[in-house]
Amino acid sequence: MDSKWYLGTGAQSDVVISTRIRFARNIKEFAFPAKLSVPERIRVNNILEKAILSCKEFDFRFIEMKTMSQLQAVSLAERHLVSPEFASSCDGRALIITEDESVSIMLCEEDHIRLQVMKAGLSLDEAFKVADGIDDAIGAKLNYAFDDRIGFLTQYPTNLGTGMRASVMLHLPALTAMGQIQRLISTVSKLGLSIGGSYGEFTHAKGDLYQLSNRITLGISEKVAIENLKSIALQIAAQERAAREELSKSKETEDKIHRAYGILKHARLLGIDEFMKCISLIRLGAVQNILKADDALISKLMVDMQPATISISVERPLDDKARDELRAQLVRESLS
Amino acid sequence: MLCQNCKRNEANVHMKRIINASATEVHLCEDCARALGYGDAFSGFGLGLGDLFGNLISHSSVFSGTNAVRCPMCGNGFNDIAESGRLGCAECFDTFYDKLLPSIERIHGNNKHVGKRIVKGTDNSDYLREEEDLQAELEKAVREQNFELAAELRDKIKQREKEKTEEHNKREDK
Repeated sequence: MDSKWYLGTGAQSDVVISTRIRFARNIKEFAFPAKLSVPERIRVNNILEKAILSCKEFDFRFIEMKTMSQLQAVSLAERHLVSPEFASSCDGRALIITEDESVSIMLCEEDHIRLQVMKAGLSLDEAFKVADGIDDAIGAKLNYAFDDRIGFLTQYPTNLGTGMRASVMLHLPALTAMGQIQRLISTVSKLGLSIGGSYGEFTHAKGDLYQLSNRITLGISEKVAIENLKSIALQIAAQERAAREELSKSKETEDKIHRAYGILKHARLLGIDEFMKCISLIRLGAVQNILKADDALISKLMVDMQPATISISVERPLDDKARDELRAQLVRESLS
Repeated sequence: MLCQNCKRNEANVHMKRIINASATEVHLCEDCARALGYGDAFSGFGLGLGDLFGNLISHSSVFSGTNAVRCPMCGNGFNDIAESGRLGCAECFDTFYDKLLPSIERIHGNNKHVGKRIVKGTDNSDYLREEEDLQAELEKAVREQNFELAAELRDKIKQREKEKTEEHNKREDK
């Protein structure tokens, strides 16, 4: 587990946790997955598998979702490898991933192919380059559904055109504390972007993590969409930094951060919400030099302590309380 | 189905969320969805979009909801698309292009693709054909009651599947 992409750090990493590029693609010979029966989807997956795995330059691994337990599937969603929707129903779905989990390809989610590339920090151009390369390689083996007028064809018209969703995950504890998020949501929506919780647009932000992504996919090139997103992300990062400076001046902030550290260091039961709240403050404290904490460790804990991911790390089944107890123990151990 | 929050109105916003390690379906009425901060419905990557895109199409007076014309590939009528908010296949876009365009424009503020294109005039269906050929041959053999050939082909398909499973297992072991 030590070579995963999210343990690295990248540009602007004080605010930008990660970057993701996602492409939606379909094969013209088949109806979209929702229109296919499970055996038909399996057949499509097998064809996609053969074509995609023949791209030897990438070290892909194929997993039939059916072979996973519900917890394993949800853990994939917690690690952002698949969408929550994808994890919720495994029939006729498959996943292709690389060892470091930076590339994952959902087969028969809403579209036949959902390719995603993740990078640490703000790294839109690099992530796009990788995704574009894989997309070219796959596109040379299969006939993508494409229309000259409206671009890549997708099940939902909201993804038509480039079929690309670029997003950055932002850590915004100071703007959240200052009540600036609502204003941000309405501002970015006027700019053709959207902002939501870290597990998608409709989720609440845990740990002050927000996903900022482009909303428009038709009539705007990939390059321009990425440039827009980058420029807005940088502006939000600058605002967050200013807000952090402001917050850091107060004794209350310093107190809150140290209290959060105290909880993580000594708690015997630690629920996910409380954990995310505390780790967010620790991350803020570390960036502002209020306390010392290891970046990579914080990133690792934010992923590993998620409910399903923590549950599959042990052999025995865990109820809620046992899970909170284990989380408290693991966090204590890693901080000492 | 009633809204899970107010338990009064019909739930018409459906989405999947992850709550405490398990994926849970959430069904809300539009008012509650908005009040609970589920935000702009068109900002998602498909999540819960179906209904709302459906509404957008079916409420639009330009369209008379009808299934008179059907997509030759997947059999969808325009009504099916308006109700589900989803297209059935790539052919649907061609079949209902003029009817869909106004809604597409409303979503994206644009109706012309710019950006990456696929190379025209190339056919990349080798992977499809290889798999299809055996199946088609098998069906033909059965139809022609050529059972010897059919058995042979069935063995071949089975062998191929077996190889694939072994390949999988090898990968799993790694």
